[in-house]
Amino acid sequence: MDLLKSIIAVAGREVRIWARRPIYLMGSVVVMLFCTVFYLSFLKEGVPSDVPIGVVDLDGSSTSRLFVQQLDATQIGKVVRYDSFAEARRDMQSGKITSVCVLPEGFNRDIQSFRQPTISYYINGLYLLGGSLAWKDLLLMSNLSSGAVQREILRKKGVPESRIEGMLRPIDVDVHQIGNATMNYGAYLANMMLPGMLQMVIVILTIYAFGTELKYGTSRHLLEISGGIGRAILGKLSLYTLLFTAIGFSLEVILYRWMHFPMAGHFGSMLLGIFLMVLASECVGIFIIGCVPVCRFALSIGSLYSVLALSLTGFTLPAEAIPGPVAIFTWVFPLRHYYMFYVQEGIFASGFAGWYPYAVGMLCFLFMPYLVLRRLKHAYIYQDYNRN
Amino acid sequence: MAGYLRNFFRDALGIFSRELRLLVTDGGVMIIFVVAGFLYPLLYNYIYKNGVLEDTPIAVVDNSCSSVSRRYLREVDATRELKIAYHCTDMNEARELFQARKVNGIIYIPADFDDALARGETAKFSIYADMSSFLYYKNLLIGSEFVMLQEINDIKIERYSFEGMTDQEADQSVYTVRYDENNPYNPAFSYSIFLISAILMLIIQQVMFYGMSLAAGTMREENRSFATLPGAMRNRGVGRIVLGRGLVYWLMFMAIGLWITTVVPAIFRFPQRGDFWDIAYLVFIFVTDCVFFSMTWSTFITRRESVFLLLLFISPVCVFLTGCSWPSCAFPTFWKYFSYIFPGTFGARAFINMNTAGADLVTELDLVRAIHIQTMVYFVTACVAVYLENFVIRHRDEINRALIEAHARRRARIQEHGEKLAERLERIRRS
Repeated sequence: MDLLKSIIAVAGREVRIWARRPIYLMGSVVVMLFCTVFYLSFLKEGVPSDVPIGVVDLDGSSTSRLFVQQLDATQIGKVVRYDSFAEARRDMQSGKITSVCVLPEGFNRDIQSFRQPTISYYINGLYLLGGSLAWKDLLLMSNLSSGAVQREILRKKGVPESRIEGMLRPIDVDVHQIGNATMNYGAYLANMMLPGMLQMVIVILTIYAFGTELKYGTSRHLLEISGGIGRAILGKLSLYTLLFTAIGFSLEVILYRWMHFPMAGHFGSMLLGIFLMVLASECVGIFIIGCVPVCRFALSIGSLYSVLALSLTGFTLPAEAIPGPVAIFTWVFPLRHYYMFYVQEGIFASGFAGWYPYAVGMLCFLFMPYLVLRRLKHAYIYQDYNRN
Repeated sequence: MAGYLRNFFRDALGIFSRELRLLVTDGGVMIIFVVAGFLYPLLYNYIYKNGVLEDTPIAVVDNSCSSVSRRYLREVDATRELKIAYHCTDMNEARELFQARKVNGIIYIPADFDDALARGETAKFSIYADMSSFLYYKNLLIGSEFVMLQEINDIKIERYSFEGMTDQEADQSVYTVRYDENNPYNPAFSYSIFLISAILMLIIQQVMFYGMSLAAGTMREENRSFATLPGAMRNRGVGRIVLGRGLVYWLMFMAIGLWITTVVPAIFRFPQRGDFWDIAYLVFIFVTDCVFFSMTWSTFITRRESVFLLLLFISPVCVFLTGCSWPSCAFPTFWKYFSYIFPGTFGARAFINMNTAGADLVTELDLVRAIHIQTMVYFVTACVAVYLENFVIRHRDEINRALIEAHARRRARIQEHGEKLAERLERIRRS
């Protein structure tokens, strides 16, 4: 009862601080709002269309024109015509076009006379997504046009129509994309970028919430009200947990209910996942401010930590491709556990049996504040660190 | 004139040393500069060192057990992208391995695969790709499709010969059009080359911005903003302040910039196809641009911490705005213009093109021009910002008084209005 009273007292004090200084809500709600709008609107197309592909048509025949027209008509590609290769190469080097396709002189004549003309592609692999899409498009187009010629030949040879299909395409593959059937790039990135930003906000804001007490010398007042460092932390965190959980739940609702991003498993489990990530991230924040009870230092360290998390989570470059000594450290980020949790629930729908190790992983973070409790208490009482 | 110049340089030098002292003695700033400026480039390069994912483990379920399927799977196993880790007897077993993430993909060859081939029909097989990372998908697709294309052509030649074509005729019909692929800048579609280049340039921009904001925020908190200085110089010192302060950051970040753009790629043996002096010039204009950019935007930072609380999230946003991941041609219009705010948008693109694609300054004229224009705009805004801040500080008392008076007037008006209203109500009630 006593505990509850002090928690309420600390939470009430925190609410008054929020009301006085808008930065707390700006740094959480407004920042997350901006990020949500950014990632969802920036990537809303899902798959880029009209990727510029440079074409140098040295032939100018009806066949080559048809090829260019059909390339232009594909969903991915948009043709930009050039007169010379030098010009096209310059534009590819400056990133204006993703690739160059050169149709050689005598393209049409060589096809008609079976002299096997060669189309040359130059791909700019630096802009990875654009480049690989253009590459795929060009491959598709040349296989299709080659197929069209072959069909004509087979017809002329008198091969029955029913067998032509098998001749042209003896093997076909059926690709199943598990977890993101439409290859929606937006869903893929937003799924992790938004929780990643939430982790960033939580770590920074938690450090700030505990650091300002030191900075403005109000930490003793906080201890008096709460009657102990443990209660002070519980009281503050109760309010922050409410705020961050509300943001986290809204994210999940937006991602999987409103945007309808693929979710194979249960929505409820994802709520649990993000809730655990909120708790774990808060504990990381407390751990940092406890280790370095100087607001300015702790915030710098927290920023370095949270920016690194986005690369080490392994949702873009998988963790197994990260060199060993660093790969171990991927697990010090709650986001990594959340990502693995999401993979199990959202992609494979494997339920509790699949994700419990990661849930336990996130729960392990809850022990981190205990390690620094005494140090933080000491700093709160004596305020003997550099204020700023 | 000579006297003016002498004064100008003396003042600028004074401001320079003041700012330098402030930075060097500030632990929070130095940790950002050293860790993020010098160590992060090394760390990021190390993380993305491998860049390509090799030998992604897959499971295969071969129900047809034919010579074609066995040959196909053997060739798939031999690709750089894929490694057959498990041969499963049925899909359930493969699915379990897939869920346990022992494999990142499944190739399923149905029992009628061989029969379809023998009948001259289209034989179908299936691929299941783990989409939790697009690199798994890419490997699975490249590995299995390339082997398949080769296989298809072999079978086609066989079947065409069966129709009575000679070998040469069959070859000519199968390969009516040949193609020749070149991927000169990034042959393996390595993940690291493009991302690292963008991250490296953004590190310069962001580290400088955070460092300058921290310093400016601290000074403002302690009521000793640099903008108070023109007061001592009869309000003529705006240029001196901007240039004097800017020089501190400029020197530091020219060092960091050259470290990042020339030494770090050399340590990790990344391609360096650009001319050194072209890259040096790019760093020169980019750092200058970043100085005025940071100076302009740090005007809004009134407290030390607010930059991390309010603007840390902008770093990953900037990575996307460089266009290295989502292609810039597919940017929504609003975000395209939004991206012009940041020097990194142009700087990162120019650096990628020059350092890796070997472009020179002439090829990159558009981007270089954009950086120049941006520099000029931000120089003007930085000067205006100092002038305005100085104006506000000098007239703080008057402004405060005016605000209080306005507030009092408004209250009086409200009160008056209230009284009138009450009077009217009273009249209505009486009547």
